[in-house]
Amino acid sequence: MKNLIERLRSWWKSRTPLDQQPIPEEDPLVKSSLATPIAISSLLLMLSLFWALYDETFGLRPWIGYQKEFVGAYRKVLTRIRPDRAAEEKQVQSSAAYQELSSQLQDAETAIQKEMTEIRNQEKLLKLQLATLSKVFTTTRSRIQAATYAVETSTGNTRIDLEEELEELNKGPYLAAIPETANEIPETRKYTFQEMEERFNALKAHQSDLQSRTVKLLREPSRLRRERNEYSQVRLTSLTENQVDGILNGLDNFTTEIKQIHIAEMGLVDRCESCHLGIRQPVVMKREDLDGNGLFVSHPNRDLLKIHDPESLGCSPCHNGNGVATVNTQQAHGQYKHWLRPLYSKENFEAGCIQCHESDRRLAMAPTLNSAKEFYYQKGCWGCHAREGFEVEPRLLRATHQAIDTLTLQRVKAETQITRTIDQADQAETNEEANRLYASVDAINMNISDIDSQLQQLNRQIPELMKEVKKAGPNLKEASLKLKREWIPVWIQNPQKFRPNTKMPRFRLEQNEIEAISAFIWQSGITNSLPKQPPGNPSRGKTLFETRGCMACHSMGEMNGGDFAANLNRVGEKANYDYLVRWIHNPRQRSLPYCPTHARDITPEDYASQGLPFEFGLEKNICPLGNHFLQVQQLVVMPSLRLTTKEARDIASYLMNQKHDDVKYEPAPYLDDPQLFEKGRALVRHNGCAGCHEIAGLENDGKIGVELTKEGSKPIERLDFALLTHTAKEEGWYNHKGFFEHKLENPAIFDQGKIKKPEERLRMPNFDLSPEEINALTTFLLGSVESIIPENFYHQPGGAGDDIQNGWPIVMKYNCVSCHQFVPEQQAALSQLPRYQTPDGKEQLPPSLVGEGARVNPEWLAKFLKNPALSQEKMNRNGVRPYLQVRMPTFNLSDGEIQKLVRFFSALSKESIPFTPPQLEPLSGRELTMARDLFTHRTAPCLRCHATGDPIADRDASAPNFQLVPERLKSNWTERWVVHPEIIRPGTAMPSGLFRKEGDRWVFALGDVRSLRNYKGDHAKLLVRYMLGFSPQEQRRLRGR
Amino acid sequence: MFNHKFNSFLFVFLTIFMVACSGGGETTEAPATESTPEVASGVTPDLSEAGSISGKVNFEGTKPRMPRIRMSAEPTCEAKHSGPTYSQEVLINEDGTLKNVFIWVKEGLEDYQFDTPAETATLEQNGCLYNPHVFGVQTKQKIAISNSDSVTHNIHPVPKNNREWNISQSPEQKYTRSFPRQEIMVPVKCNVHPWMKTYIGVVSHPYFSVTGADGSFSLNNLPPGDYTVEAWHEKFGTQEQKLTVVPNGASEIDFVFQG
Repeated sequence: MKNLIERLRSWWKSRTPLDQQPIPEEDPLVKSSLATPIAISSLLLMLSLFWALYDETFGLRPWIGYQKEFVGAYRKVLTRIRPDRAAEEKQVQSSAAYQELSSQLQDAETAIQKEMTEIRNQEKLLKLQLATLSKVFTTTRSRIQAATYAVETSTGNTRIDLEEELEELNKGPYLAAIPETANEIPETRKYTFQEMEERFNALKAHQSDLQSRTVKLLREPSRLRRERNEYSQVRLTSLTENQVDGILNGLDNFTTEIKQIHIAEMGLVDRCESCHLGIRQPVVMKREDLDGNGLFVSHPNRDLLKIHDPESLGCSPCHNGNGVATVNTQQAHGQYKHWLRPLYSKENFEAGCIQCHESDRRLAMAPTLNSAKEFYYQKGCWGCHAREGFEVEPRLLRATHQAIDTLTLQRVKAETQITRTIDQADQAETNEEANRLYASVDAINMNISDIDSQLQQLNRQIPELMKEVKKAGPNLKEASLKLKREWIPVWIQNPQKFRPNTKMPRFRLEQNEIEAISAFIWQSGITNSLPKQPPGNPSRGKTLFETRGCMACHSMGEMNGGDFAANLNRVGEKANYDYLVRWIHNPRQRSLPYCPTHARDITPEDYASQGLPFEFGLEKNICPLGNHFLQVQQLVVMPSLRLTTKEARDIASYLMNQKHDDVKYEPAPYLDDPQLFEKGRALVRHNGCAGCHEIAGLENDGKIGVELTKEGSKPIERLDFALLTHTAKEEGWYNHKGFFEHKLENPAIFDQGKIKKPEERLRMPNFDLSPEEINALTTFLLGSVESIIPENFYHQPGGAGDDIQNGWPIVMKYNCVSCHQFVPEQQAALSQLPRYQTPDGKEQLPPSLVGEGARVNPEWLAKFLKNPALSQEKMNRNGVRPYLQVRMPTFNLSDGEIQKLVRFFSALSKESIPFTPPQLEPLSGRELTMARDLFTHRTAPCLRCHATGDPIADRDASAPNFQLVPERLKSNWTERWVVHPEIIRPGTAMPSGLFRKEGDRWVFALGDVRSLRNYKGDHAKLLVRYMLGFSPQEQRRLRGR
Repeated sequence: MFNHKFNSFLFVFLTIFMVACSGGGETTEAPATESTPEVASGVTPDLSEAGSISGKVNFEGTKPRMPRIRMSAEPTCEAKHSGPTYSQEVLINEDGTLKNVFIWVKEGLEDYQFDTPAETATLEQNGCLYNPHVFGVQTKQKIAISNSDSVTHNIHPVPKNNREWNISQSPEQKYTRSFPRQEIMVPVKCNVHPWMKTYIGVVSHPYFSVTGADGSFSLNNLPPGDYTVEAWHEKFGTQEQKLTVVPNGASEIDFVFQG
């Protein structure tokens, strides 16, 4: 290069002006050629052009290739399904019903054809006539209107002239050639304006007359056509042949372009469908339909997509990723450094639901998330880690206390203001001023009354809310009453070893730490003694345990019941019999009540010091040391099964036999060592035991873990991978998913290789989670993010939707789902037990509650939930289904929980609340006789199965109590039930076919009822009216019949 | 950046490569469809050399006492029985054989297809008892259900593989029902009269039998082959035996249930 410039320069210097130049012997340009540099640069230019072209087509825009590929793949799929679609359509169209509709349609069309032709001809003529006339008419009309206006706005002489002009205009004459019949050559006639107007109006009237005739004529054919279309629409399982062809034709004109969703409100641009072209195609395509290519598969859940239209929500708000990027997969999926929202893996995709559905406890199409939330609640994760949506009860209780404090202060202020104002009024200068001030005192007084009313309500809520507060684990204050002392250290060391699947996790503790903790637990609790219980009958206890419903929550060794509570196969090794009897009889019973204000348990001595007897319970819940509400229940969800003491002893005796034969526990003398107390307490506090257990002196301890509500949005740098950072990056799990999964699998993992003092080590214990549980919780954590979506996109169902979401936490809290079915897709754990698989066993199951809101009166339901025995005296029974051995327990629900449940059931069944029972027409005397005849007909054996409350007759009863019908059932449901029980409750013991349809009414199908022979009404409705008015008197009367 | 482009290049190359491969795959698809095993279930058996299986079901041990059925709530039914009525759960014949055992060919007929028989099976309710107490039908075979009592019954099958239903039946009503899927056995109850039970063996072929008053059974007209025969009893559960039916052969097997 340098050489070249040098040569050029010397050439320039050495050149002589042209005119002096001798004619060269040789051309210098030819001599020192530039061909080589030019060739090299043009080659480079060529190469960069090719590179640019290549990059444009493939490098930067891989989607162009995908789109081309898609057209081919989709065409192949469409061509493959086309014959089947055609065949199905043909099959539907050749069905007798379709043919019948077609021929009816044809007949209907033929029937109107003549008249329609006539109308069409008239319309044609009319159109011609109107066209001819309106040309002249409308111009004239405008001119007359203008002239009229001129007259109106003029005066004097001009007005007279103008009036004349107007008259001229009115008179005309105007010429128009209006045809009178279709084929004539029209004759030109003269018209005045008025004549024209009349004619015009007549033609218009005729036109609308013809239109209404058309509508009337076409009514029947269009009804038939609609019916025929609906018939085939309902029966066709996918597209029609025509529709397939339509798509195929569309593919011929497929334009290769960025397919983009833009939602300005969210600031969202999603180009995902530039590559994923099959997502929303009307033809469902699976991987196997596309020769294993996953790129063009349809969205796997169409129903989900239907309620989350990508046009208005995009793709990346749910799935994450970088919706704008199109350069390559990695970029588009956001799987690169610094992109905060990488695409969720398939197994975690439900994480995307949370940001809009944060307040929904249970989501219809998110089973993984639902199980994670259940797990989070049931295993007590919230004991250490706060998270929005969990543990709302204590927060509500605190808020209520605060509201009371605020109002009390307001009241004091108001009273002070009253005294001050009265003073001012007394000394006012004028009477007017005094009266004004006295009036304001009255207003403040009325305001005080308002405050008092609020205070009354809030104070009533306190003990109710205290009923709702629970802990995940048992009360350790009673450890020395309920446990064998040697067992405690064994349990703490490895709970999973003693009881696999227990919710108590495994802590990382040294032997001396275990000893200190055990000693503290042993010494810190209550030291009262319990009344001695005589032994019960273990074999009767076994039957009771297996039939009363204990197994809905508990398992017994290999006998799998529910997994909500402990597997009791070794309970005999740890428990104290006397305590167990009390526990089974009433698990909520405390030894001592707890006073939150004094932050300690209240002892008999405290009661004695105030001269009060030592009595406490749900009714006696005031602290003797001051006017505060006491916590009078154990903070557990285990309900009372309303067993007799004898039954409790039987079950306890059975449970005490549940132990391994060869176990021996080392003696633990250190439990009584007072020197270990302080160390033990420090350790208990350090490890956050009070998050799940009630522990003396630690009742108000805070949570020791981080809040997890927004854990998924934490910058990755703030997740401490410690010494594993490098490994994680190398192995490709240096991301949120990797952190959560590894941490959950082994909570101590990030201490690996670290030199730490015991108290500095990571505290999270090991829950021995299964891979499914880890995945569910990871999904839940990944989705717990700072939402980037505007709030108006959140799911805010309101009304019934809120009622459903407010109900689920309670249903899950008390594990109602283990006995009852609430939604069709859910199975109760109890129903899986072998005992309930036989035909007779099946009918011993607790009732399914699908549609419960439609069935029962909400007021009655509230009453039932409060006391399922429906009696204050006879507690040892089921109120509605006395024949069931399994028992609906008493949960001691708060009024608030009951209200939420009642609203929940109504909302689930799409029933409105409050419920106003429809007024049923009272039965006339004749109707009453007929209804009685029907009810007691020899072939309608209602009372053969249904209980009535009569103990002798009810011995063989196998269906709900009839006496409850008027109060319990809704009449609409009852009407549907008696005619079609099998569609409301498939597999019910209630037989179908009691009534058959005759025209519009249901008539009794099982035989002739003489008094009903001439009755023209609906038999089912008659029976329901009778049932809804069924009284004990009526029953007595029937017994006499 | 360069890396990404290189990746894209690789990707494009690989895509072309894969497309080419999958194109190649298509041609090899054809023979795969030919060997689809779907065809096998549709063969009508060749019965030209058919054999048979017959035998007895014996009972050993102490004869259990059957609880008495108390029918006093239905006097018209009670009147139909000359003496006291007992549960039909275990019926032991005088010769020590066991009645109401359902025998069927459990395995060995999978490759055949059988027509649904035209004749209708019957189930009667008489004297507040189901009659028969155990019987078999072929899948989709019609069962005519009648009520010979003057009271209303309800027929409530509680199957596991078929759909459950429960319908009332007054004396005048007649029903015809069938079960589309094989199931051993479909228990049928009556909710009005909890003691009423019948068991229906629904089999996809015609080779089944119920032991009667002599405890014997026979399965005739079987194509030669290897079979597993199962005996089912309401209380004593199931037993099975394997055997071979040779062309035109008559095989004999006996079952013994222990009390």
